[in-house]
Amino acid sequence: MKSNKLLEYVTGYVDIVIEGYYIEQFINICNTRQINLWNIKKENSIKVFASIQISDFRKLKQICKKTKCKIKIQNKKGLPFIIKKYKKRKFFFLFLLLIVLTIIILSNFIWNIEIEGETDIPKEEILELVKSEGLEIGKLKRTIDTKEIINKIRLERDDISWVGIEIEGTNATIKLVKADEKPEIINDSEYCSIVADKNAMILKVSAQNGTPLVKEGDIVTNGDIIVAGWMEGKYTGKQYVHAQAEVQAKVWYTTTEKVYLKETEKVETGQTENSYSVKINNFQINLPKSLPKFQKYDTIEENKKLKLFSNFYLPLELVKYTYKEYEEIQLIHSIEEAKQIGIDRAKESLQEEIDGKEILDKQVKVRTETDYIEVEVTYEVKENIGIKEKIVF
Amino acid sequence: MRKKARKFDEIFEIPVELSTNEPKLTITGFERLLIENYKGILEYQEYFVRVNTHIGIININGFNLNLEEMTSDDLLVTGKIEGIDFEEVSDEAEA
Repeated sequence: MKSNKLLEYVTGYVDIVIEGYYIEQFINICNTRQINLWNIKKENSIKVFASIQISDFRKLKQICKKTKCKIKIQNKKGLPFIIKKYKKRKFFFLFLLLIVLTIIILSNFIWNIEIEGETDIPKEEILELVKSEGLEIGKLKRTIDTKEIINKIRLERDDISWVGIEIEGTNATIKLVKADEKPEIINDSEYCSIVADKNAMILKVSAQNGTPLVKEGDIVTNGDIIVAGWMEGKYTGKQYVHAQAEVQAKVWYTTTEKVYLKETEKVETGQTENSYSVKINNFQINLPKSLPKFQKYDTIEENKKLKLFSNFYLPLELVKYTYKEYEEIQLIHSIEEAKQIGIDRAKESLQEEIDGKEILDKQVKVRTETDYIEVEVTYEVKENIGIKEKIVF
Repeated sequence: MRKKARKFDEIFEIPVELSTNEPKLTITGFERLLIENYKGILEYQEYFVRVNTHIGIININGFNLNLEEMTSDDLLVTGKIEGIDFEEVSDEAEA
């Protein structure tokens, strides 16, 4: 019971057929010479199947001569034979090895940087910043010290309150939380003035502390001091205070919209065609597909990074182009219609500024040209203006 | 001499098959027979195996008998074993 199946397989063995009249003798000689036989099976009186190690097989020849047996190889089994078989396919294995190696090597690099979090900061800027700290596509993962990068980003940018960098597989995720832009908080004990932050006409100034420098009806421009942070008394002289006041003013918001009398509108026909291309870093290979047959179409580009498993990004990108056919429909507006459209558009673009504020007046100026009209809409809005500004001596 | 040796073995609890040349037969189920300490095969047929040992001959009857494992000490016979019988050889004959 010495041999076991696995070992037999690794060292390799052959199934043989022994034919002859003195098979018992053959087996006994094998035994005395320490040649292991197994799976000995008698087919008929002169024919026996058996298995034998490769290394022992050569020794059999002598015994065969002695016992006048014939030996035929029936089957070769085991690892050595498989290796021999695949030796001819060296290149196959070479490439297999190469592929495995490349995957292992590539997995040490960053191939994708994602930015998460809602910020107004353009991605390019963040990528640029991160790049200067050593995190960029194609960098070795080991060389990246995320803590250091996070610290540096936070030092450099005031508008980011929190940064997290996670490296998973070949993917680096930068998570950002934008800092709310808070007005500089000035302590009550510090001296400050109130300064206009918009061009406006003053309606009412009620100062609780400080000296108002403007009257009702005055027009202030951005940066003008509305309430000065000092008091002047006859006896006390100039005394600095923390100005506090409520300033109501009229503010004008103006926008100009151009409305063409003849407008073309895109209407999608619903017909689409796709084409694909592969992008390796910045090198693009277009997969054969001619441009779409449509006369007029929009191209929508969709990038998809290829990845193995869940987070192993490869430096390969699959780009899908979707061509959407559209038709142009001519719209002809009358001047009245165009005016209305212009007003609507203007209102939409000013929505953010005037929302929630009291609208005092609305002025519409229309300038008619040959093929378009220009609508200038001005909203007059009542709102509180003024921000505190520290007095710097 | 031999009796003294046996006593020695008994005291030190040496297994019988080691101290003497006696064969040890282990039968697992009805289809596996392991013979240890054998000398050689006298006859091998599909229905009959005759194994020579130091103290006699073991005859195995059955069907589809295979010699599954064979080393210089052990012999594993598998197949449908119907019967085993022994032919004892006297001491003088062995010597």
